[in-house]
Amino acid sequence: MTEQNKDIKDTISNKQYSDQLDAAGQSLSEALRISFVILKIIMIVLVIVFLASGFRVVEPDEKALVLRFGKIQGIGDERLLGPGLQWILPYPINKIVKIPVEKNVNLAIDSFWHFESDLELASPTKRKVPPSEPLYPTRDGYCITRSEKQSAAIRGVDGSDYNIIHSKWQLTYQIVDPESFFKNVYVEDVEPGQDYFKVITKSINPLLKAVFDDAVVTAMVHYTIDEALSSQDRIPGHVLKLMQQKLTHQINSGIKVVSVQLNDIKPPRQVDHAFQALSRASQQSETAISKAEIYAENTLNETAGSIARQLHKTLRDETVSEKEKELLWSYAAGAAQAKIARARAYSTKVVENAEANAEYLQKILPEFRKWPELFIQKIHRDAIVHVLEKADEKIMIQPTEGDGDTEIRIMIGDN
Amino acid sequence: MKNLTITIFIVLIIAIMGLYLVTFQVRETESALVTRFGEPIRVITDPGLKFKWPRPIQRVYKFDSRMRILEANLGETTTKGAVPIIVNTYVVWKIADPLQFFNANEHGSITKAKNKLLSQISDTQNRIIGQHYFSEFVNSDPDKIIFEDIEKEMLDDFNIKQNVKKNYGIEIKAVGIKQLKISEDVSKDVFARMIAERDRKTLRTISEGYAEATRIKTDANSIKTVLLAVAEAKAKSIQADGDVQAAKSYKLLEADPGLAMFLLDIEALKKTLEKNTVIVLSTDAYPFDIFKKRPIIVPRDPNE
Repeated sequence: MTEQNKDIKDTISNKQYSDQLDAAGQSLSEALRISFVILKIIMIVLVIVFLASGFRVVEPDEKALVLRFGKIQGIGDERLLGPGLQWILPYPINKIVKIPVEKNVNLAIDSFWHFESDLELASPTKRKVPPSEPLYPTRDGYCITRSEKQSAAIRGVDGSDYNIIHSKWQLTYQIVDPESFFKNVYVEDVEPGQDYFKVITKSINPLLKAVFDDAVVTAMVHYTIDEALSSQDRIPGHVLKLMQQKLTHQINSGIKVVSVQLNDIKPPRQVDHAFQALSRASQQSETAISKAEIYAENTLNETAGSIARQLHKTLRDETVSEKEKELLWSYAAGAAQAKIARARAYSTKVVENAEANAEYLQKILPEFRKWPELFIQKIHRDAIVHVLEKADEKIMIQPTEGDGDTEIRIMIGDN
Repeated sequence: MKNLTITIFIVLIIAIMGLYLVTFQVRETESALVTRFGEPIRVITDPGLKFKWPRPIQRVYKFDSRMRILEANLGETTTKGAVPIIVNTYVVWKIADPLQFFNANEHGSITKAKNKLLSQISDTQNRIIGQHYFSEFVNSDPDKIIFEDIEKEMLDDFNIKQNVKKNYGIEIKAVGIKQLKISEDVSKDVFARMIAERDRKTLRTISEGYAEATRIKTDANSIKTVLLAVAEAKAKSIQADGDVQAAKSYKLLEADPGLAMFLLDIEALKKTLEKNTVIVLSTDAYPFDIFKKRPIIVPRDPNE
């Protein structure tokens, strides 16, 4: 090429060649020059494209690692690129690995739920399942729970009794340590056009599901079926702890379990009626007890008011002084109080009457001693007048002369 | 000048193409094995840019060293004491020794390795579970449950006893039992037992509930009886006090008992005839005797 170039230059300087040759040489030179320029432009464009291919956008919920020839670049915090536009040396020198962080992934787990056919799922009423229908290990999911201490002791078995329970869960996790995650957890390669986040979750969900199932099975054997049904807030915490133990300490996966949610938990359908009977029985006895409590409350209120129990308690309590007891009794209400009040009224009246009579006697005694006959007569007459005045009916009868009796008929009544 | 640029450019391209032939990258997630004419000669576990002779002299095998999960199939096994249970064990494993992995699995075939591992899992699972009673998996006394320890034992069995690193070039990072089940027939027995247990509880709940209700009522009634008795006693004593005090006043009546009795009688008469009284009297009775017979009243001699 350089040889040719020189020739062309010579040709131009040497004007002894014919015009035809001159024209051909000129056009050849022109073509070469243009192609050279084009080549140069292509080269520059290629370099620019090459360098520009190093620009990468890291989204707000992502962190990125830069690999130079496969090795993670940087020290400490510099290893992680934050969100924004980032430039790295282009492939094959550097490669960027983006990892979604603090992005919650939800995973519904129903591997502990019994099988339901489409027909059953669609039906609004739940099918009654007889106890003779077994659970198939390959089809139905469940957990085993321990039995109660007490009942095992009664029946003298070795304590390996157990119950069966179904449950439905939801797991939420996120990647919190991108580097550990990248180094330790197998993720399928992202093919062009695939959403890398989906690829990641698809790759790690089986791991999380297995660790989760393991944690649930392990946790559940520690509870009795009644504990499992009633303490629904304690078990998820237990499961979460067991999971984190495996994910962090054993695998160092960089994955954090955000929450474990127990969506549903129930005894097998085969024994449903027995559980319902028990819950009805509980309700019944609760009702009976609360009715009895109301009765007791009313009875005591009617007896001595709100302090009835307190009164009863202090009756034989030697540490409470008599004075305090009296004070307490003064607050009593109801029938007891009425009895005492009646007694008080009686007592007051009796005393007052007696006093009044005594006083009266003392007063009139001097007069009576002076004129006893007249005095008695006056009191006697006053009394008769008083009585007759008050009488509603007064009937006077003239006794018949002689021996015969007189018969009188009186109709008593309002009419 | 132009010639020089072009020369550099061409040299660069040739150099890069050459580099492609003699270098390779080992990523942070990988380990690699270099073979010379099929003979393994070098293990690379640290990431970066590495050199080799071009093929066919040297060849590079790369292995993904990240952790993967492998689940065995649901399978029946028996515990010590011959209780059949159905379990599903999984392991989290990774390629830990590229050379061993390469040799043990026909030039490092993942599929081959998985198959070997699967049979190792079922072997370990059955052996370790066979060493434990069922009551160590589930027990009415939570302190006797050693579920997690059994999983740990399985992990140790893989890594220490079976030495999967030396034998297969892999390491097991975690082992777990993700299903613990029983056979169909046993599940029916469990249902029967659960129903019996519920029925017993139902009866107990009812009887305990009613007993409690009765106790509450009886309790209230006995408190009522006691309190009323105490109140009655108090009332009696108050009445007695009143009577005693009244008796003191009666003492004063002793000044003239005849008059006092007369006054009390009069009082009683007045009170009893206070209301709704019909009085039938003979005209002989005082003071109506005046109707019949006019009294003869003679003035008294003032000097008498």
